[in-house]
Amino acid sequence: MPYTAEAFQNEFLALGATEVNAIVTVTSSGSEGGRRTSGATEIIIVDASGSMQAEGRMSAARQAAKAAIECIDDGVHFAIIAGVSTAQQLYPAPGQLAVSSPASRADAISNIDRLQASGGTAMGAWLLLAAQLFSQRPGDIAHAILLTDGDNGERAGYLEQVLASIGGKFTCDCRGVGVNWKVPELRKIANALLGTVDIVAQPAGLTAAFEEMMTKSMGKTSADVQLKVWTPVNSTVRFVKQVEPEVRDLTGKRVEDGPRAARYPLGSWGAESRDYHVCIDVAPGAAGDEMLAARISIVEGDTVHAQSLVRAVWTEDTALSTRINRQVAHYTGQAELADAIQAGIEARKSGDDRTATIKFGRAAQLAHASGNTATEELLATVVDIEDAATGTVRLRRKVEAADEMALDTRSTKTVRVGRGQ
Amino acid sequence: MTTTDCASCADERAAGAAFCEACGRALSSAKACPHCGVPGGIGADGYCEHCGMLASRPRDHVEADYGSVAAAVTDRGRRHHRNEDAAWLAVRGTDVDVVVCDGVSASFDPDVASETAAGVAGALLADDPDVAKAILSAKDAVAELVKSGDPRRGSSNPACTIVAATVRGAEINVGWLGDSRAYWLPAAGPAEQLTEDDSWATHAIAMGADPQAAMRDPKAHAITAWLGADAGPVTPRVGAFTVKDPGHLILCSDGLWNYLTDPAALAETIRENLRTGGTLVDAARGLVDFANAAGGADNITVAVVPVLSLSSVKE
Repeated sequence: MPYTAEAFQNEFLALGATEVNAIVTVTSSGSEGGRRTSGATEIIIVDASGSMQAEGRMSAARQAAKAAIECIDDGVHFAIIAGVSTAQQLYPAPGQLAVSSPASRADAISNIDRLQASGGTAMGAWLLLAAQLFSQRPGDIAHAILLTDGDNGERAGYLEQVLASIGGKFTCDCRGVGVNWKVPELRKIANALLGTVDIVAQPAGLTAAFEEMMTKSMGKTSADVQLKVWTPVNSTVRFVKQVEPEVRDLTGKRVEDGPRAARYPLGSWGAESRDYHVCIDVAPGAAGDEMLAARISIVEGDTVHAQSLVRAVWTEDTALSTRINRQVAHYTGQAELADAIQAGIEARKSGDDRTATIKFGRAAQLAHASGNTATEELLATVVDIEDAATGTVRLRRKVEAADEMALDTRSTKTVRVGRGQ
Repeated sequence: MTTTDCASCADERAAGAAFCEACGRALSSAKACPHCGVPGGIGADGYCEHCGMLASRPRDHVEADYGSVAAAVTDRGRRHHRNEDAAWLAVRGTDVDVVVCDGVSASFDPDVASETAAGVAGALLADDPDVAKAILSAKDAVAELVKSGDPRRGSSNPACTIVAATVRGAEINVGWLGDSRAYWLPAAGPAEQLTEDDSWATHAIAMGADPQAAMRDPKAHAITAWLGADAGPVTPRVGAFTVKDPGHLILCSDGLWNYLTDPAALAETIRENLRTGGTLVDAARGLVDFANAAGGADNITVAVVPVLSLSSVKE
């Protein structure tokens, strides 16, 4: 079995305690022989609105799309969508998917030169077309790359409506080029479609970003992996969060699956490892009682790949019940770190410098204590960190928009702790 | 048969049937959960599919019954979440090997330590009644545990106590490390403790402290010798006795003797249970019940072996 699931927790609860926390590390060595267990479809969506003419973004986007096409394995289905006020299929013919081969890739690359910047931004329409194309290949590993440089121009609520209808149909990595796009907007798409969001401040960085996303996607071997959580009666799942490599709340994606069980989508998987934080509220037990608070399974369709047990054992021994599990404490801190950064950015934008200072201070403290140096460095572009240990920071008077957006998009990136108690 | 539908596949046609029509699983033979009473819901991993409670742990209560030759009972008690005591009892004719181990709760996987130690020492005693040698082998096996299983064993290695004894006719060998005890119970009079606890209290009393005060000290039960990777070089203490008159060899963990620190009271309680219990295993169970009634603050293990008694000669 290529998958393993391992739970880290302090199973001992004080009498009367009802909250059970565990970190579940899910690792896959990839499918047998590293081959895909299903087909794969890739769709590249490039914003071709008028603003893309600035700073040489359009030509950089063309280069990047070409580079991404070059990364597509033979036999994988693909398409390119040009994003204007409507969604227009650039390659192949409208409603079709191409099959990757040296010839079709060359054909696609020559078509990319037709991409011209003119018109508006309609992300809902672009994603809807992508979903329609993906629907021709059910069961495929379905992945899209969305590139934009501005605000969505569609009527309020339309994008949300589209996301609600296409959630779970494909994964979508979102990239914003320049600084005129909105982080919360792309984050909304990435969260709904289990993808990543990041800033590419300089158009010159697009090619590397596209190559990285496409290469990563080509490494996926399973299309639709899910986390199944069984809990006993009189208990509720408070939350299920991916906490590594980045924080992603999956609680709202719950789909009921049989008595007392539900599934949470994890998206596609390759040879990789991710951590999940599961929090369950249970009915309290008596001293010595042992309860199975959750049975966590990694499933694909009807196949159970791996299973791990989250237990609750009530004890009068406070030496046991007060033990802090390092994994749980660490990831609780990493989730708080992401929240503090996002709250800090929001406060700073609304002119509430006091709250911003407190939030960024807490974030600096958490990033430092947990060894998340990447986040600490990003924080240092927005605030002067005087003493990370105590969380003493001063807001910078002049902050580059790109730096703040980078901090915002990457606030959810986490680091791991060493194993062991 | 009270099952109304199948717990496995939720098919309602199963009402009243012995097997589910849809998935074929047995409906009525499955045991009801002792916690919530829902029948047929105990999963393969031992947890109730309904309320999630662990239906039973095999080590919560274990009895070894060798009729009139020997008996042992080990029990979780009322306060601990699992039984970290372990016992070994082997009988060949009138030869008896008996071992009692008590896992150190502060260590990781102490239940594995005690089970390993009792098993390793007990198995060796069959060929060689050298209890010191058996205890040292058990120590090596427990020390090895740190290299396998949960990585947390590394920072708090599995550890346990041990008391081991062999009975060969009238000859008794006993050896120990820690505070699990062996007693000789003569036909009349107080019980004679054959072991001396490797504990802070015993050490303090030996140094001249007031015994009552020493036993009340929070450190009283801190043991000064044990089996485990961090035990350092240990020398098991041993004793050899030749029994003149019939009596009983008793091995027990502190889950019992804590409630019977006075040797006269201990002797009286054991004799009372031997009189009223009928069989040896009944008597051992009675002693466990006594400790549970007194609070059951720790795991309880007791082994009872008659020596030179008429019944054991008869066997």
